[in-house]
Amino acid sequence: MPKHYRPAGKKKEGNAARYITRSQAVKYLQVSLSVFRRLCIFKGVFPRDPKKKVKGNHHTYYHMKDILFLKHEPLLDKFREMRAYEKKVKKAVSKKNKDLAERLLTRKPTYTLDMLIRERYPKFIDALRDLDDCLTMVHLFAALPAIERENIQAERIHNCRGLSLEWQAYISRTHKLRKAFISVKGIYYQAEVEGQKVTWLTPHALQQVMPQDVDYKIMLTFLEFYETLLGFVNLRLYHSIKLKYPPILDPRLKALAADLYALTRYADAKDRAIGANDEESELRLAQLQDQLPANEPGALMHLVENVADDNEDDEETIACKTLFQNKTFFLGREVPRESLLFVITAFGGVVSWEGDGAPFDESNQDINYQIVDRPTQSHRFISRDYVQPQWVFDCINARIILPTEEYMVGKVLPPHLSPFVDNEAEGYVPEYGETIKRLQAAARKEILPMPGGEHDDLENSQNLLAEGINDRTKAKAAAEKKQEMALHEKQYHQELKEELEGMQYTPDPNIDDDVKSNVEENTDDVSPEQLVKDDENMAMLSMSRKQRGLYEAIKISQQRKRANVETLERRKKNIQKNKKTSD
Amino acid sequence: MKKNGKKNVLKPVEKEVVVVSESDDEVVASDSEHESVESPVVSDDDYEIFSEGNDDRNSDSELDSGSGSEDEDGEHPSNEAGLSDGVDNFDQGDQSASEDSREVVDESDSSEDEVGPRNTIGDVPLKWYEDEEHIGYDVAGKKIKKKERLDKLDSFLARTDDANSWRKIMDDIEDEEVELTKEETKLIRRMLKGKAPHADFDPHAPYVDWFAWDGAKHPLSNAPEPKRRFIPSKWESKKVVKYIRAIRKGLIKFDKPKEEPRFYNLWGDETEESRHGLSYIPAPKAKLPGHDESYNPSLEYIPTQEEISAYQLMFEEDRPKFIPKRFTSLRSVPAYEKSVRETFDRCLDLYLCPRARKKRINIDPESLKPKLPSRKDLKPYPTTCYLEYKGHKGPVVSICTDPVGQHIASGSHDGTVRIWEVETGRCIKVWELGEPVQHVAWNPLPEFPILAVSMGQDVLVLNTGLEKEENKMIADLLRVETTPAPDDSESAGSSVSWSQYDKYEGIRIKHFKTVSSVEWHRKGDYFSTVMPADILLILQLVYLFACTFS
Repeated sequence: MPKHYRPAGKKKEGNAARYITRSQAVKYLQVSLSVFRRLCIFKGVFPRDPKKKVKGNHHTYYHMKDILFLKHEPLLDKFREMRAYEKKVKKAVSKKNKDLAERLLTRKPTYTLDMLIRERYPKFIDALRDLDDCLTMVHLFAALPAIERENIQAERIHNCRGLSLEWQAYISRTHKLRKAFISVKGIYYQAEVEGQKVTWLTPHALQQVMPQDVDYKIMLTFLEFYETLLGFVNLRLYHSIKLKYPPILDPRLKALAADLYALTRYADAKDRAIGANDEESELRLAQLQDQLPANEPGALMHLVENVADDNEDDEETIACKTLFQNKTFFLGREVPRESLLFVITAFGGVVSWEGDGAPFDESNQDINYQIVDRPTQSHRFISRDYVQPQWVFDCINARIILPTEEYMVGKVLPPHLSPFVDNEAEGYVPEYGETIKRLQAAARKEILPMPGGEHDDLENSQNLLAEGINDRTKAKAAAEKKQEMALHEKQYHQELKEELEGMQYTPDPNIDDDVKSNVEENTDDVSPEQLVKDDENMAMLSMSRKQRGLYEAIKISQQRKRANVETLERRKKNIQKNKKTSD
Repeated sequence: MKKNGKKNVLKPVEKEVVVVSESDDEVVASDSEHESVESPVVSDDDYEIFSEGNDDRNSDSELDSGSGSEDEDGEHPSNEAGLSDGVDNFDQGDQSASEDSREVVDESDSSEDEVGPRNTIGDVPLKWYEDEEHIGYDVAGKKIKKKERLDKLDSFLARTDDANSWRKIMDDIEDEEVELTKEETKLIRRMLKGKAPHADFDPHAPYVDWFAWDGAKHPLSNAPEPKRRFIPSKWESKKVVKYIRAIRKGLIKFDKPKEEPRFYNLWGDETEESRHGLSYIPAPKAKLPGHDESYNPSLEYIPTQEEISAYQLMFEEDRPKFIPKRFTSLRSVPAYEKSVRETFDRCLDLYLCPRARKKRINIDPESLKPKLPSRKDLKPYPTTCYLEYKGHKGPVVSICTDPVGQHIASGSHDGTVRIWEVETGRCIKVWELGEPVQHVAWNPLPEFPILAVSMGQDVLVLNTGLEKEENKMIADLLRVETTPAPDDSESAGSSVSWSQYDKYEGIRIKHFKTVSSVEWHRKGDYFSTVMPADILLILQLVYLFACTFS
């Protein structure tokens, strides 16, 4: 008799009954694998690992309840219907029944994913929590070319672009952006919506590489779900700030590929014209707004600012909103316009750019900062700073206006640090991170750094600033030391006095104990290191096996982290050495 | 065609042919009379079809045309087989083409002298001559030798040298190499495509109806036109009515205009409904980028060249996935080549990876170690005095706690055994035994608080009287032993004598030597005593079978 013999007529029990493999599931649902995959993606069903893998290790296991969940999905019927429909069309075509085929083609069965979204995300906050992948995907597809071969249609790309811009417009309108980071992979953004941190990645606005060995069908299935999800989320968010959802955009701006600007404008315009519900009037308003700034560029932006104040905002939002307040930016032709437009407006700045549809042109006198990425400029205005785009990102991550000297055109930029890293936890703080920290501290305390000082070799203001702070901390430490010394002295005097009075010396009990214990330790013939080691070994022995494994794993991870930090420090030392030798 | 060729061969042609060389327009007159059989003219006729007998036929046609015959169609039965209903203009074209060919044909005769003996075997399978060195016989009855064939290598070399080699083919029957002309190759190509061989042949010429309909005396059918051709169809109207009714009833639906995806407030009514299905495990979020992923990281994040080459030696899994790189400006950052790939991998992870809830603990690993007491604390005696049990006059040699831990019994050399309460140090009971006590031991059973005391040569089993309620049993137990007679008789040779202890309630067991210690069995039924002898340590274990205890 085999080990796990199940008599005939007795039901399976345990893991054998609770989990089935993927091929079993496909057979059970009577669908093709591709349909099963689509269903899983739409429903968010994922494999689960049983404690005991009944069929072997090389299978994917699904929980039986998940599969039953799929079985009762109306979408499954819809997919079957679609398959039947495809067969009908094929048959009509092959029988050369052109009329029938044409008629059939007009009534293709469709499906919607609305209820699935409601089902997967019963509350709005759930949807926001899961929005990271959605946004990354939609932003990626917004940057991809339409490929007929892979069935990536142009209208879906446009839809993705529209959705991503709508999202960005909302974020920048409500000043919810918190962090932004230019990485090699693209630009990361982090926003905080309804208490949820939403992070997404937008690729650099360049021609993307389309690998051949990627199954675009799967990606498109995900995208289908994500498009619907983002649409509903956007609608909800737009309604929350009392805007109509599919926004009506100024066609002129849209044609000029300034969609984001058009969207922000839409949001602003709508804010002021609360009474105007009619779509046409909105459009007209948008167009009016478009003509307005040509005459009076500053006025519009100020108006926008005034309107935005009425909402109740938390402290951080206000800090974000006021970072670039009353600052006017002008973007050069060579900088990533869309990204900067989004970021700067999200932090309260006013932006224009070189090109058509811009609210004001380069010669405007109000411009404080011009963001350029070219080593040379044809004409330079004296009244403004010419900075590289990294300055904007570093400013918003540090939440202060950084000095622009380091970021001037043609300068070697300071390193761009990730705002997502907890330096303390990592155990290594890059040099520039410390500089920024000091600057932040200086900005918080409203202390102006003292220029000059004992170090004459400092050439930039950051270091000066930092030095100022440094001096301050040093002074503080010195004061503390002094105090401590005084205390010791006082104690000494008191003891001297007592001795003179003839009192017997009664040492402090705790000190006494310590001394005693030390003496006792020393009396042992083994060395203290050996003792410590023995203690450790003893402790290791007395741990349970599970705990010991955990302990070792933690130790290994700590070691790895330390090794990383050591590598960084070693490299840094090398770099400094090289620099010295080259000097 | 073959037939044609054969006929040609058999029928000697006695005509003079004017041969015009195309290349230099030189006119060569030759008498083909005696050679017509062996060497018919090789022609470059337009209509020549590549086959075994084509040369003959062409020469034939050529000769015919040369003789002034206008009957072209008859001369080209094979070519014009499909053109029987051809149009006039085609015929003209054909004719003109053949006229053109006349000149062309003639040039080949210039090489007449070189041409060897021609095929004389007729329409017999070539297989018959396969193994022979000759092929057929000439007029004189001599064997016509086969031409020497080039071997493969030579033919290959010849082919590579000659640019025109691709249009040269071997004619097995004539045993010679033929070079196809441009027109011939065109012809072959058209035939290979399944078209008519001639480019100017129109396969879709308009149909010419030769039947004269007008002049017919009788119509084809004499039936009158039926009425149904003039009135609207009853059945069609019925069908229309049926459709109309179906539409009115709503059975037939017209195609709706395509709807744009509509969004609405999906989370309008925020009810406390939870997710269906099994417990949902949200996918872990993608890893956030560190300093090293920056487009412009600190210099220390960029690995040196040696480190990068060291990565190649690592295992694939251990190798870092991402190698930091520094760009001097944002404008020089290229598109990330793996962005689609990584998104795809994320998709795969989302729907293919089994998910499980894992408790991730963030603790100090040292807290996992159990707290061991320090060495100092592990010393065998307590360092401070907590309680003193005062009362003994002499040195205390033995103490023992009762199984509950409430009392301590102590035996001293002053001849007393005392019982103390542990918590308070109060002396509960004193036995004045008069002899230095060696050892005291409590019975391990809590319900029988009995004390065994060794003292000199005696062992006393004393009732402490500390039991919870008045336990008659103990008293009984300790009294039953009073009859010494059976004990004595039983252990006549033995070393112990049992007797009732008079002074206090208990039993006295006298040994023949000094008893140093006494120990109870854990079940409380037996006890053992140890008697060291004067010099030698003789351990004598005495098992008292105390049936009364059980």
